Amino acid sequence: MSNAPAAEELQTEEEIDLTEANEVIDKYLTLPGNLMPVLQGIQEAYGYVPKPAIALVAERLNAYPAQIYGVLTFYAQFHLKPRGRFIIRVCVGTACHVQGAERITETFFDRLKIGHAETTADLRYTFEKVACLGACGMAPLAMVNDDTFGKMTVQKVDEIINTYNARPMK
Amino acid sequence: MVNLTVDNKQVTVPKDATIYDAAKSAGIKIPILCHDKKLHPFGGCRMCLVEVEQMKGRLIPACTTPVTEGMIVRTSNDEIVKARKLVLELLLLKHPIDCPVCDAAGDCDLQNLTYEYKVNCNQFVDEKFNHEIDYVNPIIERDMNRCILCGKCARICDEIVSYGAYSVINRGLEAKIGTEFDGPLNCEFCGSCVSVCPVGALISRPFKFQARWWALSKTKTVCSYCGTGCQLTLGCKDNKVLTTVYDEDQGFHNGQLCHRGRFAYQFVNSDKRLTTPLIRKNGKLVESSWDEALALVTERLTQAKAAPASLAALSTAHLTNEELFLFEKLFRGTLGTDNIDHSAGFAHAALTEGLKASFGTVASPSEILDIQKSNLLLVIKTDAYETHPVIGFEINLGVKRKGVDLRIVSDKRGKLGKLPGAQTTVHTPGSELLLLNALAKVIIDAGLADAAAPGLSELKAALAEVSLEKAAAATGVSADEIAKLAKDYAAAEKALILLPIGLGYPGHNAALAEACANLAILTGKYGKEGTGLLVMGEKNNSQGAADLGIHPKASGLNGSAIIDACISGQVKTLFVAGENPVVSYPNRAKVEKALEAVDFLVVADLFLTETAQLADVVLPAVSFAEKSGTFTSVGRKLQQVKQAVKPVGLAKSDFEILNTLNAALGGQKYLNQSELFAEIAANVPAYAGLSQAALGDEGKLLPVAPSAKLVPVAAQAAAPVAGKLALVTGSALYHSGTMSRFGEGPMLVCPNAYAELSAADAKVLKIEDGDAITVKSDTGSVSVTAKVGYRLPQGVVFAPYHFGEGSINAVTDGKAVTWVTVGK
Repeated sequence: MSNAPAAEELQTEEEIDLTEANEVIDKYLTLPGNLMPVLQGIQEAYGYVPKPAIALVAERLNAYPAQIYGVLTFYAQFHLKPRGRFIIRVCVGTACHVQGAERITETFFDRLKIGHAETTADLRYTFEKVACLGACGMAPLAMVNDDTFGKMTVQKVDEIINTYNARPMK
Repeated sequence: MVNLTVDNKQVTVPKDATIYDAAKSAGIKIPILCHDKKLHPFGGCRMCLVEVEQMKGRLIPACTTPVTEGMIVRTSNDEIVKARKLVLELLLLKHPIDCPVCDAAGDCDLQNLTYEYKVNCNQFVDEKFNHEIDYVNPIIERDMNRCILCGKCARICDEIVSYGAYSVINRGLEAKIGTEFDGPLNCEFCGSCVSVCPVGALISRPFKFQARWWALSKTKTVCSYCGTGCQLTLGCKDNKVLTTVYDEDQGFHNGQLCHRGRFAYQFVNSDKRLTTPLIRKNGKLVESSWDEALALVTERLTQAKAAPASLAALSTAHLTNEELFLFEKLFRGTLGTDNIDHSAGFAHAALTEGLKASFGTVASPSEILDIQKSNLLLVIKTDAYETHPVIGFEINLGVKRKGVDLRIVSDKRGKLGKLPGAQTTVHTPGSELLLLNALAKVIIDAGLADAAAPGLSELKAALAEVSLEKAAAATGVSADEIAKLAKDYAAAEKALILLPIGLGYPGHNAALAEACANLAILTGKYGKEGTGLLVMGEKNNSQGAADLGIHPKASGLNGSAIIDACISGQVKTLFVAGENPVVSYPNRAKVEKALEAVDFLVVADLFLTETAQLADVVLPAVSFAEKSGTFTSVGRKLQQVKQAVKPVGLAKSDFEILNTLNAALGGQKYLNQSELFAEIAANVPAYAGLSQAALGDEGKLLPVAPSAKLVPVAAQAAAPVAGKLALVTGSALYHSGTMSRFGEGPMLVCPNAYAELSAADAKVLKIEDGDAITVKSDTGSVSVTAKVGYRLPQGVVFAPYHFGEGSINAVTDGKAVTWVTVGK
């Protein structure tokens, strides 16, 4: 009981079905050092780690919510906000940079109306600039989920967007 | 032991010591920022770099490197100084260097080291942090711009407090100490993080801009809230207590304090303090002189002396031993009445009756340090953490560092139950005795009892009728769980039982202490390190009050009986020293009626309490900070209380008040309280041979010689009343007794009376957290705020008792469980 607003009030409470999160926790409950696999499993199930799931993990693994939050913010692999159905990664490493990667990213920003590490309101796309995708011979390079697009051009950006706009959300 | 050389000095230290420890033992100071002797070594700040002859080529962190035989260590040379300077430059690069407005200035490790290493310029340039400052919570201001990321706050909150409010969040340059979701802090507000913060990143809001650190005069004394007996240092200026100062070398707890110890000192200089005596004239309390007030009290007490049975006196266990001894001398000796008591007659009966019957002494046969030395802790009531938070820290440390097996027997769940491996046995309210008897029965039946235990045959006979199945049905705990708990307790090499007592626990009486003692005696688990029974008295001097006999000894009335006798007209004159029965004794309406019924009521207190408002004469007394003497804590530690400030207004200590009255009524007049201590030492066996001067800063552990005897305990379950909820009372974490209401911290975080409901009951009753609700029993009703939580079983309501407004004693009647209805 304190004057400070309770943690729950500060968050916009998300309506989340925690069944899958509970299943993930059940799977790893007795494993020593289970926090990472549990969080990874939850992210796999939901595409990100929802706040109510963090509270659930804290309760069931008897861990402090603050420490879980520390782990989640330490690793780049975890996301605290819903992510797009399609993750667009554009390489801005040295080779791609000299091949004009900046124009590719600018075009994506312009077409999708989002910036780096942002997600479109319809949850279709998340855009990320990355340092290197390890295929410098194909520079400039872009990826959408697991599909790779080499020798990117501004025209290709529109083609990619058209292709993935036509794909179903599920 | 390991031998090594530190700065050409030969040092011998235990093999688990670090280079830092070795240097410290030789009186050599190695600078540190992230290291704390209470916490696991961290090695984060690199200030403690030293050179080791055998590991040349790089500098070695002293705080994490264990010593080895023949090690040759140099703690300072040009290279080391250069490295430390670099560390400081890098820390200062992002630090705002706002020392003129920083409360930590003067007490800041970063500032002091910067000065010591003469870092007057920085070879690097960078932008400063721009973190938002957390002003949301009322107690702890968090300015992460000043933070040097030593992580001590996060580590102490995890390792010792076991709350885990902080963690390092984000990564690299973005890394900072944050809370869950980087929101404002909302925790127990014990302030442990503030105390260990080496800079001004975490500061106490109540103390902000009150005084520079170097302007404070510092007095080492003992906390006056609960019975733990934490030593603390008061920081005073201009005759006012302005803060508590952290001293990591104080007490068994290494300077650790709880919320009320650290943030509830403001009652000392509260503007609500009484500054002059008051006398009731024409129905109103009006200011008077000491001469007039004391003359009136003397006159009425002289009349009462003729009929001692019509005189009664109640004292608080907040007074010093010297004052309690004088209280006893005045009323039992000079005035000849045995109607003297403290804490209603039930709150301390575990000591004065329970332990007296079981161990032949009014003191626990164990001490606080036994907690970490035990193998298994059996905590009766999870409230041990709420009533005695710093003992709670000891339990945390025992479980987490020493692998102590923690078992809790309680009517609700609590924080202790979240410790690793802790098992909570939740029983139906009021069935503790049944459960404890069942445990004793299992131990006897399984042949685990010590055949030589005194009184075994009587106990066997008394428990003959106890059946595990019946006990399981009545307590709501399965027979298997009871049997397992009993066998685990008996099997543990060293097991210690903890029993918190106090005014909040009307069911925590003599029988409960006897039932606990039976388990210890049956299995021979007492009188040895890490074993026994620790009865945790509620007040700072509950143990002293028991030792000095502030309870009826012959045919006198105890606290509850005194209240009844006031109503019946037997008691006509009542003297109350510091006690506030209107709020703390069961059945408020009855207490008020009693106090209104007595012909003459004298109240000596710091404040015009609910009780003092009914008095004929009110005498302004002083707080622990304004007087000297001794307190005896849980586990029999006798410690010195030292005066830090002058009394407020015309207030006088209870020693002065009682001394004047005693002399005027024909008793002995004492020169000072030290003279009384000498008399205590001469008359009370446990205090024999002691002197105040010999106590020093550390205090002395009083001896105890238990002579054990099994005492059969009759147990009955509280019969449920259909359609009603079981109300159990107790303590809130932020409060202690009724005095913490006058401290700033507790009233900022927990200002109102509340009742805690289970989520299931709340749903049925359509009550939400924060709703105004009415709790009603056969005794009365009270309006409080609802708190909905997950720690209570369905059908149980919990309410703390500290509050004057919405005081839960309006509905309680002194039984362990009160059957109530709750509605909006």
